[in-house]
Amino acid sequence: MAEKTFICRADQVETGKAFIAKVRSMSVGVFRVGEEFHALLNVCPHRGAPLCEGPQCGTTAPVDGPDFIYVRDNEIVRCAWHGWEFDIRSGRALVDPKMRARTFPVTLESGNIYVTA
Amino acid sequence: MLIVDCDCHNYWLSATVLTPYLSGIWKDMFLEGEKTGPVGAFPHGHRPWFHPQDFSRKDVRPQTEADNYLIMKEKHLDRYDIDVAILTGDEPIEASTLANPYYASALVSAYNDYQIAEWLPKDSRFMGSIIIAPQDPRLAAAEIRRLGAHPRMVQVLASHGSVKPYGDPFYHPIYEACAEMGLPFAIHLGGNGGVNWNAVAPAPTTFFWETHAIFFMPAMAHLASMIAHGVFEKWPDLYFVVIECGVAWVPSVLWRLDADYKALRKETPWLKMLPSEYARRNIRFSTQPLEQPANVKHLWSALEAMDGENTLMFASDYPHWDYDDAKTLHIPPEWRPKVMGGNALEVYKRLPRLQTAFAA
Repeated sequence: MAEKTFICRADQVETGKAFIAKVRSMSVGVFRVGEEFHALLNVCPHRGAPLCEGPQCGTTAPVDGPDFIYVRDNEIVRCAWHGWEFDIRSGRALVDPKMRARTFPVTLESGNIYVTA
Repeated sequence: MLIVDCDCHNYWLSATVLTPYLSGIWKDMFLEGEKTGPVGAFPHGHRPWFHPQDFSRKDVRPQTEADNYLIMKEKHLDRYDIDVAILTGDEPIEASTLANPYYASALVSAYNDYQIAEWLPKDSRFMGSIIIAPQDPRLAAAEIRRLGAHPRMVQVLASHGSVKPYGDPFYHPIYEACAEMGLPFAIHLGGNGGVNWNAVAPAPTTFFWETHAIFFMPAMAHLASMIAHGVFEKWPDLYFVVIECGVAWVPSVLWRLDADYKALRKETPWLKMLPSEYARRNIRFSTQPLEQPANVKHLWSALEAMDGENTLMFASDYPHWDYDDAKTLHIPPEWRPKVMGGNALEVYKRLPRLQTAFAA
């Protein structure tokens, strides 16, 4: 049965770095992406590393030639160990969308962040 | 089960930790001389590739020199029940890139003294490596003899970047000293810049990931050279340990060496066995970064072809970005007792024989 857990005040979540908290027995990272908040399990589906302790960042757009277009700034988390990139909103790995980090619904109520897990 | 980590990097925040271990002109040059980077950088000839997200895991963020050990203890040694961690330094192997062998030798000596004074006492699980600057084998041999009797120094270590393939007789004074002190000779990925200009056979590749993936090239050459020059005939008990160079390439190189040796044995009449037989007897490989094919059976068949159960030794490469953890290493489960620690006990004869732990 999913339950809602208080994480922190919204102003405690900085862009660039996840707010990491315990949700039941799990470690979960809450990210601020623009005005939205998203939560990912702090376990990388690649090798089990603390995914959310890596930098919140952008990446290079897929292109056909030597153009280096930095896009999606702050929409990506780069895993703390091996550097694999994941879309914070969907949890999907950029190089292999079949690989997916677990996501949780986030709610914002009166300036407080809750994660449902 | 005994776990020996054959590649555990003891980091510093700043190479200035070496200052108390240097003296005279070397201290003067270290403090006043040009460096590769800002104050605190270790002098070395840099490689032509920069890591796009730097080498360290991002969950390892030391703020003080003391943190380097405390974080390692928490996130690595205690968490993965590591029984023995062989310290491999980090930047010091890059001394092999300097043209001035006297300065390079002074730097590695300072590092070795620092390691003995400031790292080994921190944790009984730590064992040390005598890092050498191989560009002057006579000075390297002197360093091996200076520290080789220390009971917790378990190997001699150099980078896999070098001015010649390591089997060349130029380097034999190093192996003579290793044999005399009863220590293995290990090479670790690195030192691919400065005087070690030909890091990648045709010429430098362009991108970091591209290069990192094929960086076993020098290790292939060292393996062939050590065997062909008869190092293991001159010193039959010497172990040659190849660290962080990948492993799945090994069987194919050995097959090729055996085939060519059978045809052209006359070039190296001092050899008495097939190249693969020397490799099986004298060469060991650390696992990290273990290749990750989509089908693990493809990897396991390569590992079987190199008798991996007896020739592989676990390594984590803590705290680097391509870290392998001890719990999820994808080797055949029945190999774990030997690969995780048993083989290391054979190679590193000074390791305490933790037989109880091994049996458990």
